[in-house]
Amino acid sequence: MSTTTETTEREQAAFARVELARHPERPRAHQVIDGVFSDWHELRGDRRFGDDRAVIAGPALLHGRTVMVIGQEKGTDPMTRAVHNFGMPHPEGYRKARRLMRQAEKFGMPVVCLIDTPAAYAGVGAEERGQAWAIADSLLCMLTLRTPTVSVVLSEGGSGGALALAVADRVLALENAVYTVAPPETCAAILYRDAGQRARAAAALRPGVDTAYGIGLVDELIPEPEPGAHAHPGVAIAAIGGAISRHLDELCATPVDELVRRRAARYRAAGG
Amino acid sequence: MDIDAGGVTARRQAPPRRVQAPGPRLRPVAPTGTVACPACGRRFVFERYKADLNVCTACGHHGRVPAVQRIAQLADSHSTEPLELHVGDRDPLHFDDGVPYVQRVARAREQTGIEEAFAIARAEIAGTPVMLACMDFAFLGGSLGSAAGEMFARACELAVGERRALVAVCTSGGARMQEGIASLAQMARCSVGVASVAEASLPYISVLGDPCFGGVTASFAVQADVILAEPGARIGFAGGRVIEQATHDRLPDGFQTAEFLLAHGMVDTVIDRRQLRATIGALLRLYSGGS
Ligand SMILES: [Zn+2]
Repeated sequence: MSTTTETTEREQAAFARVELARHPERPRAHQVIDGVFSDWHELRGDRRFGDDRAVIAGPALLHGRTVMVIGQEKGTDPMTRAVHNFGMPHPEGYRKARRLMRQAEKFGMPVVCLIDTPAAYAGVGAEERGQAWAIADSLLCMLTLRTPTVSVVLSEGGSGGALALAVADRVLALENAVYTVAPPETCAAILYRDAGQRARAAAALRPGVDTAYGIGLVDELIPEPEPGAHAHPGVAIAAIGGAISRHLDELCATPVDELVRRRAARYRAAGG
Repeated sequence: MDIDAGGVTARRQAPPRRVQAPGPRLRPVAPTGTVACPACGRRFVFERYKADLNVCTACGHHGRVPAVQRIAQLADSHSTEPLELHVGDRDPLHFDDGVPYVQRVARAREQTGIEEAFAIARAEIAGTPVMLACMDFAFLGGSLGSAAGEMFARACELAVGERRALVAVCTSGGARMQEGIASLAQMARCSVGVASVAEASLPYISVLGDPCFGGVTASFAVQADVILAEPGARIGFAGGRVIEQATHDRLPDGFQTAEFLLAHGMVDTVIDRRQLRATIGALLRLYSGGS
């Protein structure tokens, strides 16, 4: 086999992983909320400008404990995908998340974030209303929040748009998910000046969550049923629920001063 | 995060006779050579342009400034102590797109004369002790990799340890793509640094230069107590070209300029570089209790 063929096959395999993570039937945030929590009450709006449907949030029960759940929602069909802007939040989504994280801190509720976004939305309105400012504020909020936090990368964790809700005490990820600095198309446009070379970018940048796990940005990979969570979403959701409960039990037994100290030390060392 | 956001927008806005932007790339012709203003094309003797802080005296355009020159512009003379932090090299993905990533970093180091995308110095500004962290766009587009993130975090820790204010000059295309996910993590690492400075009640002043995009803007650049922006600087999260291609929206006039962001409440002031040092000095006095 020629080197070129090997390279092509390696690149195709790398991009196939990205496509698996983008499978439209993988469990979405609202399905995880329905399957794992009870009594979820959605709370909407950032109290400043509007309500971003790419982020859904509200308190719910998990084994008798009130938890603030914040999820990036991609939608499940053409209509809901459009409503939820394909999971790409505007600044209002991050500001709603921050509002409810502060509320969770006030009432001593743990926070669970469900990450599922290709990237924060790139648009005129998002820039005018301070997309970068909203993400930067969310990072600081999560770093200093005085309550336990768990984030779960469901399918796609893309760019600062994902990290903004993933600076948690524990970061879990479904094993076939991707966690990337930017979508492979964007990386290819920047590195090779050609978005079409997305497979090459995927092979070079290794977007699978195992890379993030390898550098300690993800703590645990949640196994998926074969051939992937899309085939048996109920099984995957049960596994997510079990992992969240287990980590919350540990975190809730730890003094909050200690959690905040460990969180700062962890992200101080992030990325090596 | 769009590393070339600045350059592409510049092509869209600049007049056709634009020549190479000022900066370290021009060093080979200095000091006898001349520099052309990227906006109006007026030529200046290199040393004269540098003495004018890379601001065009004909049209007021603010040219890019190498990090080392930034420090000299802002710090009181004789107060500066550049810090070599020796944070080392990182290449988590063994990235090679024809030129190995480590070679690109080595070349950037030679061209700019600095360790990584930051130059860090202990200094005084109008008599107030500060830790200065200045980014250099000529160092791989000022992109934020793990080494640069480590430098900024250390600068924050030194500021806290020595009870100095933090002053950062930010100019960047965003994440260091060649480091992949490790680069993304730097937004969190730098935020830890800012949080520690805030926890110590030390003032943090950020200056946004042209261009400033992606993960740098979306973390430490805008987490400051006071955000100053230079005239005409293009600042944002996603680059204008990315937005145009993704949404097919027409970009408003002046989109993502410092003046546009001031009008939208995102920065505290737009300040001429020739007033920058005095303004930072005055602010630092106010935030240090007025003494
Ligand atoms: Zn000019």
